[in-house]
Amino acid sequence: MALNPLTLRKLRRFRSIKSGYWSFLILAGLVVLSLGGELLVNNRPLVIRYEGRWFFPTYGANLPGTTFGYDYGYETDYRALAARFHAETAEAKTRTDAPPTARSRNWLVMPLVPFNPNENAAYEGVFKPAPPSWAGGPPGHWLGTDTTGRDIFARLFYGFRITILFALGFTALTYLIGIAVGCLMGYYGGVFDLIVQRAIEIWSNIPFLYIVIILFSVVPATFSIPMRITLLLLVMVLFSWTSMTYYMRTATYREKARDYTAAAVVLGAGPGRIIFYHILPNTISTLVTFMPFTIASAITAVTALDFLGFGLPPPSPSIGELLKQGTQSLTTAPWIVGSAFAALVSILILVTFIGEALREAFDPKKFTTYQ
Amino acid sequence: MTNVSQPPRADDRAVVLSVKDLVTTFDTDAGRLTAVDGVSFTVQRGHTLGLVGESGCGKSVTACSIMRLLPQPMGKIAGGQILFDGHDLATASPEHLLKVRGGQIGMIFQEPMTALNPVHTIGRQLSEVFLLHTTRDRREALARSAEILGKVGIPSPEIRLGEYPHQLSGGMRQRVVIAMALACKPALIIADEPTTALDVTIQAQILDLMRELQREMGMAILLITHDLGVIAEMCDDVAVMYAGRIAEAGPVEQIFATPRHPYTRGLLDSIPRLSTPRKTRLATIEGMVPALADMPQGCRYQNRCPHRIPLCANLPKEEIASDSTRVSCHRWRELAADIEQPRAAL
Repeated sequence: MALNPLTLRKLRRFRSIKSGYWSFLILAGLVVLSLGGELLVNNRPLVIRYEGRWFFPTYGANLPGTTFGYDYGYETDYRALAARFHAETAEAKTRTDAPPTARSRNWLVMPLVPFNPNENAAYEGVFKPAPPSWAGGPPGHWLGTDTTGRDIFARLFYGFRITILFALGFTALTYLIGIAVGCLMGYYGGVFDLIVQRAIEIWSNIPFLYIVIILFSVVPATFSIPMRITLLLLVMVLFSWTSMTYYMRTATYREKARDYTAAAVVLGAGPGRIIFYHILPNTISTLVTFMPFTIASAITAVTALDFLGFGLPPPSPSIGELLKQGTQSLTTAPWIVGSAFAALVSILILVTFIGEALREAFDPKKFTTYQ
Repeated sequence: MTNVSQPPRADDRAVVLSVKDLVTTFDTDAGRLTAVDGVSFTVQRGHTLGLVGESGCGKSVTACSIMRLLPQPMGKIAGGQILFDGHDLATASPEHLLKVRGGQIGMIFQEPMTALNPVHTIGRQLSEVFLLHTTRDRREALARSAEILGKVGIPSPEIRLGEYPHQLSGGMRQRVVIAMALACKPALIIADEPTTALDVTIQAQILDLMRELQREMGMAILLITHDLGVIAEMCDDVAVMYAGRIAEAGPVEQIFATPRHPYTRGLLDSIPRLSTPRKTRLATIEGMVPALADMPQGCRYQNRCPHRIPLCANLPKEEIASDSTRVSCHRWRELAADIEQPRAAL
């Protein structure tokens, strides 16, 4: 489909705003990277060559330790396996008749950050926060570990993924419901509009936080983590779609009074076609400018809920949960709150830059300034 | 695709649209206002009926009533019939209206700038008409769109199909609007001040185009305008509206030559002519159209009428004059005698 030249001009304008454009590229890159996060931040190797056999454990099933000659049946400790292979190579080199290229037949490739966000690494025998590797901590933990010995970088990385996907899903759903209801209110107007508006006013006065607290106190323990996340998403959407209707309602009122809507009626188009084909495309372009700010507020909201302990169910990695841990151990492990805070601020800055650039690119006043 | 979907009754064959005693009301804060009060007229196949009157006299409301385009929930057809193709459009079901609109009655709007949707290309908007009424095949709809664009005199229609309304000039856009109205070869076109928003040279072109297309496709036109010049040029019959009622109606030549109603006469007198002496004041009709909320009882023109008598407080009956024009005035006979000689046509 060819784009409207006006849309093209807006996009060109967006590209010309450097801060927003680069923020968009960086954020989009991060999202793409995080979607394949298992290949970058994981305690499972990308590929293993063991005794002439290939293993690709990243997305596969759990490989018990017995596969690689260990005596335990739980999942292999691949970092130990890597150390073992390394030692085998070193040993091969020490043989007197060994050529300089000699190495073990077995090898594996670990991801860039060889830690799983839910894996507790105990150094010195107890689970306690370890400082970042550059500050004297155990090697590999670039940002240190949290209070239960989980790698902070891995948790932030997966926390970013889950938060951004959550925020995108939240935005999509709130817009979908808000736009649909707002459009119907604006198009049909009259008594329908009046009743739905009053209903929305009542609905939006229900305190959201209480509902979340009550709901998660009665949710049975058998609910799986993805189900709990979906439930949280639905509850948040249920209490957030209303604000969109105000805007859509007025925009639809405005557009339906235009001649082209009458022209469409006169051509024999039914209400559905008029709403979705004629009115919606004319109102939606301004909604796009709200979108990054909705995403930013969704990220903040879910982080705040996590911080309070009513957000994503544990042990889901999340920035809010790290902030909570960090504030509780501010003096003993300041790196936790430091990195979580930096990550949250960076994400919000990126999203806000995108939002500002979008708003500026879509601002019709920009096109009508004279020198 | 034929445009002949007339009822088979022999006596009615030539009548495309027949409006009988149409009453349209609006519920406002000031109470119920009657914008159109007992309007009747017929449009003959292949003929053009002009509906002329001042702003606010109910011309457009009449047109919108026929199309059932009244603003909801305020506007309502309170009485009368709109007979089209054997159905009463005043009471037709929404499903029936969807078929009639665009398929059997086309409408041309006053403002070509706003009558086209700014976010869709010309091609998509034009082919929508075909997709709604005649075909399901997008490609065929686009081909037909190009064909009809060519017909309304747009050069290189294939290129224009991909363009957006803002890329066309006002005259071009009005041609596109006409093309949309004509797309399904409707039996009737309602043109609501089709040339008001255009400059004079384009006006002439658009009127020529409409006449030419009418000759070619044989549709009837209901032309709404406040421009008597356009009426003289385009129409076979004319209905002069004043404050929601028809003051006088009949063949154009008769009305222009021997206007019987004082209002028609006032209108015709206020047109400057080449024969009027230079530097004289233009003739005007004194006063203003009274607001709908405080219409006088009886004849609605009485406040401004130079021939007012006490009888005017009663509603005048519509009478048919010798030359088949219809007049609603108590004094038309004696006033007609005043006219020394028939005027020269415009």
